Amino acid sequence: MSTATGLTAPTHPAPAVDGLDELLRSMADDEFVIGFSDSEWTGIAPQLEEDIAMSSLAQDELGHAQALFQMLATVTGTGDADSLAYDREPADYRHARLLDHGRGDWAMTIARRYLYETADSVRLAALMSASWSPLAELVGKLVREERYHLMHVDLWLDRLATTNGEPRDRLISALETLGPDCGTVFTPLPGEPALLEARILRRPMAELERDWRAGVAPTLERLGLPALPATRDPTRGRTDHGEPFTWLHGEFTAVRRSDPGATW
Amino acid sequence: MTDPLALDPVLAPGDRSTDAVPSTLAPTRAHDEAYDAWFERFEAHLAAGGTVESTDSMPDEYRTAVLRFVEMHANSELMGVLPERDWIMRAPTLRRKLALTAKIQDEVGHAQLLYRVAEDLGKPREAMFDDLLAGKTKFHNVFHYPTRSWADVGMIAWLVDAAAIVAQQALRNSSYAPYARTMRKICWEESVHIMHGRDVVVTMVTGSPAQRAAIQEALDRWWGPLMQMHGPRSPREKDKDLRWRIKAKTSEELRQEFLTIYVPRIRELGLVIPDPELRFDEDAGEWRYTEPDWDELRTVVTNHGPMSEERLEFRRLARSETAWVRETILAAPQAA
Repeated sequence: MSTATGLTAPTHPAPAVDGLDELLRSMADDEFVIGFSDSEWTGIAPQLEEDIAMSSLAQDELGHAQALFQMLATVTGTGDADSLAYDREPADYRHARLLDHGRGDWAMTIARRYLYETADSVRLAALMSASWSPLAELVGKLVREERYHLMHVDLWLDRLATTNGEPRDRLISALETLGPDCGTVFTPLPGEPALLEARILRRPMAELERDWRAGVAPTLERLGLPALPATRDPTRGRTDHGEPFTWLHGEFTAVRRSDPGATW
Repeated sequence: MTDPLALDPVLAPGDRSTDAVPSTLAPTRAHDEAYDAWFERFEAHLAAGGTVESTDSMPDEYRTAVLRFVEMHANSELMGVLPERDWIMRAPTLRRKLALTAKIQDEVGHAQLLYRVAEDLGKPREAMFDDLLAGKTKFHNVFHYPTRSWADVGMIAWLVDAAAIVAQQALRNSSYAPYARTMRKICWEESVHIMHGRDVVVTMVTGSPAQRAAIQEALDRWWGPLMQMHGPRSPREKDKDLRWRIKAKTSEELRQEFLTIYVPRIRELGLVIPDPELRFDEDAGEWRYTEPDWDELRTVVTNHGPMSEERLEFRRLARSETAWVRETILAAPQAA
C-alpha cells in the first residue's frame, strides 16, 4: 500500500499497530503544542533577531507535527493531518504535561525548550533504527533540524544561567516550575510492549528517561542549576492537561469552530 | 510599509515627524559657498541617476530625508506585525498556520533589515523604538485598524501588501543604494505574501456563504484605508524625496497603478468594491473614485485611530517585559 505522502506501509505484526498509533499521536501532539507556544513570540520576542529565530523554530516544530499527523492518518486510515491536529476535545490530546505551562516569560520558554529538546533528541535517537522504515526515515529528517534547536537552546541556557541576578533567578524559577513535569515526554505508552516487540521502539521509555536524566545532569550541575526532581504522577504525564491548554485549544479551534465543515 | 512621507502633506506641522538627526550645521553652511557648490554637485549626481552608499559623504539634508523615510518604513513593518499576529494562534489549518507564521516572520525580518539601514544613517535602533513608542514617529495608516475575522488575514496579505508593493517596487532604484538593495529582497518576499493572501481569499470566496460574506465584509472595511494608504495628491515639483530620487512616484501615481492592477482582480472574484464612483475614465486615462477621507487619514496616522493606542501600548508592554533579556545579551557572562 502506498499513500499520498509517499510512505510505504509497515509489515509488522498487527498488535503493534495500536501502539504505533499512540506513539505517533504523542510525538505529533508534543511538536504541535510546543510549536504553538514558540509561535506566541512571533512579533514580540526580546529582539528582532531572536524573533526571527523563534518563528523558524515554531515552523520547524509545526512542520514536524504535520508530517507525524500525516503518518498517523496513513497508519490509522482515518482523517487527514488537519482533522487529526485540530478536531479533538482537549482531553483527547496526548502531549507531555511538560508543555502545559503556557508560554510564560523568556526564561520559561528557554527552560521548557531545553527540557523538551534534550528529551526529544533521546526519543528520536531510539527511533532512528525503527524496524518500520518510513518512521525511521522521517525521524532521520526531524533529527537534522532538531540539532539546530539544541544549539540554539544550549546557548541561551548557558547565557541565562551564567548571568547573575534576574536572568539566573528567572531561569531557576522556571526550572523549578517545570521540574515535576520534566520527565513526562517519557510517559509509558499503553501500546509500549507491542512497539518494543515489533522493534519499532528499540528501548522502553523508562530506560530512555534514565539516559536523558544522565545526559542533562552534568550540564545542570556545571551551571549550578537545581537537579531535576522525580516526575510527579508519571503514569498520567500525557493526560492531565490544565487551564493553559484549555485556553490554547480554544484559540486554535476558534476559526474552525466558527464554520464547521468549511474548507480553509 | 510604503511611502510614509506621503502622509506629511496631511499633517499639521506640529504633527509631522521631526528630524532625527538635527542638522545643526545647516544654517551656517547655507552661507558657505563651497558647501553650496558641493550640494549642487551632489544634486546633479542624483539627477543623473547616481547612487549614494552609507560610507559616502552626503549633505545632512539628504541623510535626514533618507533616515526619516526608512525609519517610518521600518516602523510600519514592525507595527504591521501586530494586526496579523492576533491570528497566528487561530489559523484554521496547519498549512495556514505555517504560512502566516512565515509571513509575519518575513515582516519582522523586513523591520530588522530596514532598521539596520536606518542605523547606518546615524540613529540607534533603541532610539527609533523610543520615538515610535512615544508617538514621535509614525507608522502606516492601515496598521491602526482592528482585524475582526480570518477574512482580514487574507485581505491584509492580498490587498494591503499589494498596495504596498506598488510603492516598494518603485523604491528598488532609490538613490540611496543600501535601501534600494534591501527593497529588492523585500519586494520578492512581499510578492509571495500576496499569493498567500489571494489563496486565503479565493478559498473563502469559493467556500461557504458565510465565508464569502466575511470576505466581502472585510473588503468593505479595508477599502477606505486602502484608498488613503498612499496619501493625498501632492505636486511632484515640491517633493524633495522625488527630486533626490529617494522615491520614484507620487501618491496619485501609486494609487492609479494599484487600481489598474487590482480592481479587475477583485472584480474577477465576484466581489463588489464599495465605491459607486469608481470607474476608469478612458479619455483622461485614469481612475475616478470618491475622494478618500483625508480627515480619517490625518486622525489615524497621528495615533488616534481605532487601535493606535492599544497597539502602541501592547508593544510598550512587550518591550518592557523583555528588557531584562536584552540586558542579558549585552551583559558580560559571569561564572556560575
